[in-house]
Amino acid sequence: MPVNLTDEILGSVEKPARYTGNEWNIVRKDPCGVKIRFAFCFPDVYEIGMSHLGMRILYHLLNERSDTYCERVFAPWTDMEEKMRENHIPLFTLESHDPVSDFDFVGFTLQYEMSYTNIVNMLDLAGIPLFSSGRTKDHPFICAGGPCAYNPEPLADIMDFFILGEGEEVINDVMDAYAAWKDENVPREEFLNRIVNIEGVYIPRFYDVVYNPDGTIRSISAKNGCPEKVRKRIIKDMETAYYPDKIIVPFIDIVHDRIMLELFRGCIRGCRFCQAGFIYRPVREKSAVRLVDAARKLQQSTGYEEISLTSLSTSDYTQLECLTEELLKEMEGRMVNLSLPSLRIDSFSMDLMEKAQKVRKSGLTFAPEAGTQRLRDVINKGVTEDDLISSVTLAFNGGWRGVKLYFMLGLPTETYEDIDGIAELGGKVVDAYMKVPKDRRAKGLRVTVSTSSFVPKPFTPFQWEPQDTMDLLREKQKYLQGRIKSRYISYNWHDPELSFLEAVFARGDRNMCRVLVRAWEKGCKFDGWGEHFKFKSWMEAFEECGVDAGFYASRKRDYDEVLPWDHIDIGVSKKFLARECEKAYRGEVTPNCRVRCSGCGTGVFTCG
Amino acid sequence: MRITKIRIRFLRDEEVKYISHLDLMKTFERAVRRSGLPAAYSQGFNPHIRMVFGLPLPVGVTSEAEYADFELSEEGIAPRDFMEGLNRELPVGLKIIDAAVMENGINIMAAVALASYQIVACCGDGCKTSRMGELVEAFLKAPEIVTGKRGKQGTREVNIRPMIKRLELYDDEYLRSCVPGDARREQIFGFSALLCAGSKSNLKPELLVQALSEFSEIDMRILRVHRKALFIEAGGKIRDPLKPLGSMI
Repeated sequence: MPVNLTDEILGSVEKPARYTGNEWNIVRKDPCGVKIRFAFCFPDVYEIGMSHLGMRILYHLLNERSDTYCERVFAPWTDMEEKMRENHIPLFTLESHDPVSDFDFVGFTLQYEMSYTNIVNMLDLAGIPLFSSGRTKDHPFICAGGPCAYNPEPLADIMDFFILGEGEEVINDVMDAYAAWKDENVPREEFLNRIVNIEGVYIPRFYDVVYNPDGTIRSISAKNGCPEKVRKRIIKDMETAYYPDKIIVPFIDIVHDRIMLELFRGCIRGCRFCQAGFIYRPVREKSAVRLVDAARKLQQSTGYEEISLTSLSTSDYTQLECLTEELLKEMEGRMVNLSLPSLRIDSFSMDLMEKAQKVRKSGLTFAPEAGTQRLRDVINKGVTEDDLISSVTLAFNGGWRGVKLYFMLGLPTETYEDIDGIAELGGKVVDAYMKVPKDRRAKGLRVTVSTSSFVPKPFTPFQWEPQDTMDLLREKQKYLQGRIKSRYISYNWHDPELSFLEAVFARGDRNMCRVLVRAWEKGCKFDGWGEHFKFKSWMEAFEECGVDAGFYASRKRDYDEVLPWDHIDIGVSKKFLARECEKAYRGEVTPNCRVRCSGCGTGVFTCG
Repeated sequence: MRITKIRIRFLRDEEVKYISHLDLMKTFERAVRRSGLPAAYSQGFNPHIRMVFGLPLPVGVTSEAEYADFELSEEGIAPRDFMEGLNRELPVGLKIIDAAVMENGINIMAAVALASYQIVACCGDGCKTSRMGELVEAFLKAPEIVTGKRGKQGTREVNIRPMIKRLELYDDEYLRSCVPGDARREQIFGFSALLCAGSKSNLKPELLVQALSEFSEIDMRILRVHRKALFIEAGGKIRDPLKPLGSMI
């Protein structure tokens, strides 16, 4: 039975179209005509969630099944939530407006740790018990996947199960098992027993965590019959992997309002701070032919005016030249723009951008991440000062006048000399601009230096590293601000409080669960939205639960410590990561995978 | 090359009444792209389909009389084909119900002069239907109707009487379904109004109801607004937008 969303309510909230649905290409099915109802939940507001490529793929993939109806759910904004609670309207889906609690599955995608309070809030709004142990056969199965699921432990008491890795195949395996289970009249737990051996499925209640007196983990052990280590699932052949011919076209503006073509998964570079580069290995490309075909179909079925190429490092796509040539040819006639984010700046890409992006030459982005070559070698970011300067020179000669430089503060082995390096690099970029003859360069140079706070992540060589304390990070930010003197350079930074919490949850264990719920009880949600972030409430929550946040964020861990995610297998071995960490401390670089294989371990998937 | 311009009349129903005017334009643009119809594009960095919409409809209002002009890059497209081709690509809640070729002339936005609305309001306690009829009559007899119009620089007093061309009560089946939880059927009234519209002079239904409420000293809150028709001024006469040279209304 759909919820009663009256005109009175919709007329009183911001952007009511967030909740009304009916967009082009949504799937309409009769809920009574399917066996499985799946509510796909993105734990943030519509505009953010609709931009997520993963949802766009899985929504259509699940709906290909005749026995399943997948519908979308986003976090209602605070004004709508208030109306919902006032009027006893439970969390509902966009397609049918049916209550989420009526569904068979409620699946969350974990894109960033600071979305977790929204997950708790959405479960509460749906009227579903927050903890897995409190659910009965009357309740849906609550599951989660996505990049943060690789350390599932902070949500272990909340989720019934996790899907680790790429969802395209494993989700169908789980649905098949469910369809069979539903027909028989067996207990809820039995379903979990049936899926525990599907590769990629992790069921927290089947694993016991024992702690040492000092708070570190003594052991994580699997109950009888369960795999000791849960290996992530990958799609072996990207060429034949499912990709939808049509995606939903939203009415309202969303963050990424365009067709996104995924070129390849994984990354060859091995930058030591980057979790994505490791968790999405091995590298698997799609052919240019397949991509052009997908682009054509998607453009036809959506009418979108822009296509964007997406991957972790687009310049490394082996067929980039031929792909862009084909796409430009195809899309020109249809008045479709080609958008190319994060390309390495060289003569090829400059030429391409000239042809493709018919937009004003406002700004180009570079991410050196560290201010000195020494530190860049430590983090294995293969960008030299010469690379940067020749790139910006090329850009300035081409009429670009805005440059954004991204760095991190708090990287392992960082000294104040490295921070000086950031300011110096900014200065050198300004110098490069000045060297370009006045008649060639565009007027009004704007260089923006932006620093984020380093957050050590699981499954990276830096997973044992401490994060700088908030005070130290603030000190460094202030120091850098003082070193940047040019009027052409502006410096952006954010208070490290959010990064601190991110660091705690990224490497947190099961103790995080009750802190999360307590923080939510205190009103924490939409933490990623500055105006709603309540750091004080978070710290109170930690204290009230007797959990020391610094233990997770600011402590240097031993190589032999049992990490909360040690029972998860992504292919990349712990030994490899430790070796990389040692090399980092020696300032040694590891070449990219195409130059030489460094034996990270993902060879075990035999396809990359 | 002679530009072909086709004017369409479309309706905007419940499913899409909450999308903004800009979103509506974007929706049409993408639908035109999907249809493969030969739309004309603007020049510049971000080419857009050349189209002009009539009086923007506020969020929350439905309509059976919305108009838009589309420029085509080819000649000889029959309006019926344009209508059917585009209808196939429009989301549920949007539907073109008529179309005609326009000679080059004033675009729809500039030509709009009048709009007719059906307004459903919930009125304060104790107001009988017969009394409401008298009230409307008295309201219309007033030489001036002054009310406060809220703008960016604060509220200013305006005389709205000249902008009201016709105002009557109406009743139909649908009104019965509009009763909100905290009201009774007797409190629901339907007003049919023909008001000035467009860039020269524009009276919004909300302001009309505000003025009526002040005049009658009865609480009134709008439940629904539906635009029934739009009229343009062409050659000094009031006409149907799809028949700018045709018979007078």
